[in-house]
Amino acid sequence: MEIAYFLGCIMNNRYPGVEKATRMLFDALDIELKDMEGASCCPAPGVFGSFDETTWAAIAARNLCIAEDMGADIMTECNGCFGSLFEANHMLKEDADKAAEINAILAEVGKEWKGTTNVKHFAQILRDDVGFEKLASIIEKPLNLNVAVHYGCHFLKPTKTIGIEEQAENPSILDTLVEITGAKSVDYEEKMMCCGAGGGLRSRDLDVTTSYTKEKLENMQAAGVDAIVNCCPFCHLQFDQGQTEVNAKYGTDFAIPVFHLAQLYGLAMGLSADELTFDAQKIDATPAIKKAIGE
Amino acid sequence: MIILGVFSMGILERLKALFTGEKIEEKGAEKAEVKETPVKTPVDSGTKTSESKTKKVDAPKAEAKEIPVKVEEAELKKQEAPKEEAKPPEVKEEPVEEEEAPKEIIDDEVENEDSNNNNKKEDNMTLLTDTELINDSNRDKEFTAEFIDAGLETVKHCFQCGTCSGGCPSGRRTPYKVRQIVRKCLLGLKEEVITDDALWMCTTCYTCQERCPRSVTIVSIIKKARNIAAHAGYMAKPHKMTGVFVMNTGHGVPINDATKALRSKIGLAEVPPTTHSFPEALAEVQKICKITGFDELIGYDESTGGLKE
Repeated sequence: MEIAYFLGCIMNNRYPGVEKATRMLFDALDIELKDMEGASCCPAPGVFGSFDETTWAAIAARNLCIAEDMGADIMTECNGCFGSLFEANHMLKEDADKAAEINAILAEVGKEWKGTTNVKHFAQILRDDVGFEKLASIIEKPLNLNVAVHYGCHFLKPTKTIGIEEQAENPSILDTLVEITGAKSVDYEEKMMCCGAGGGLRSRDLDVTTSYTKEKLENMQAAGVDAIVNCCPFCHLQFDQGQTEVNAKYGTDFAIPVFHLAQLYGLAMGLSADELTFDAQKIDATPAIKKAIGE
Repeated sequence: MIILGVFSMGILERLKALFTGEKIEEKGAEKAEVKETPVKTPVDSGTKTSESKTKKVDAPKAEAKEIPVKVEEAELKKQEAPKEEAKPPEVKEEPVEEEEAPKEIIDDEVENEDSNNNNKKEDNMTLLTDTELINDSNRDKEFTAEFIDAGLETVKHCFQCGTCSGGCPSGRRTPYKVRQIVRKCLLGLKEEVITDDALWMCTTCYTCQERCPRSVTIVSIIKKARNIAAHAGYMAKPHKMTGVFVMNTGHGVPINDATKALRSKIGLAEVPPTTHSFPEALAEVQKICKITGFDELIGYDESTGGLKE
């Protein structure tokens, strides 16, 4: 199996440990991740999607074309990238006029969107293309960790077009994937709430974003978790860097380590904290890692 | 409206009967007479006793909203006499005051004194005045059409239940009222929608859309409204800067030296195989932004690689 690996921006340009873990994991699963040479920003739904739909769709379609030329489906590990690429692909498939308009633009850069690729989320591929059983077989040592699972928004919603889960407000996919590693997903209040970073809010009004994150952190802390597990580098950034912003603004002392799902699998496969670039994160993950691997 | 008009005429008739001792049975005959009085009143600035009686009935209008009535008078004075016939329906368009018979009686007692204005304002503090009411002149139908034309016809399906606002995490902490914005989009209240900063307080989390019992594509409607706002010049500088980053590097969050070092350390390519490694790919992204006019939209300055302003 081959997959066109869409890197996006935040994951590879800020948290390369997520990329490292993903490449190791897919090696172990015998799935070839092929680079999408020359891929760009998805582009960011909060700015491009909110400013000019045509520009947003054209840049997204250009990225889709790269995967089409490779003859492969796309995988992304970011909810924002997933939302943009999936939505653009879906829109162009549904709206022939829009597709013609976008293709007229793409023709100027020597590309044509044909609608031959599918956009998939990392977690979706693990569940649907790999399967839980095979996944469990590569876990070397089960992790001992209580985690707050954070789904984010653009992974499952809008349910009607994405369809990964029937009920996006009561999902199980991430919880199951987390528990395969041996970690325990602990329920907490307002689990499905947004981290606060999306829609261009983080760059425009950090106070509002920070207020969201504080509410999430309070609810996670009340459930007594050792770590947060997400499946989106932007949520990841918001819980990691945003946690220090919450502490600075509200005088709190939150210190909940943040794991992308790929990092959790990397840890379960025996990768070191440095290989997973936890040393580049704001919140010290050492206590959670030590507990998880039983040191 | 017509029913209210007839009802208020009943009051007029009763009042008239009170002063003149007439019987009030011949409604048909009275109607025409009564219809004319409200028109004469503002025009003749009320000197005759018979008219000042009817003016008392109209008084609440004048006091509750002095400005609109003055405008009405001015308009009336400009008009030629024959046009008077067209006026009565306009006067009748204010059923709110006409309904309030008890207040009219109170006004009769203190009618000549302006001091009762304060009482009136308190009485009406929860009622909207005409200047606050939305009417067709406030509506920009082309604005509504933009949503319909963009395939967002579900904006018409909204029955304003408020489920969206009820579940909105932004609405709990900001002035963002998603139910209200959807309504304003349908009504065509363009300026109210696009000039309001609250439009940008949505994280596009889709909670509203997931729960909407009418399957309104709320997030798409909000994004469309934002597109219209952006094209009207309402864009935050940090958002424009994200656009600048993409135009300069192909990425909203470009690589930096710290991450390059980190990537090398863990055995990844120092620079990812994206537009960062392929200048010709970056040129494609830039060209797309020029074709669509995105560079102009955000005020991108090619010579400096920043914003023009």
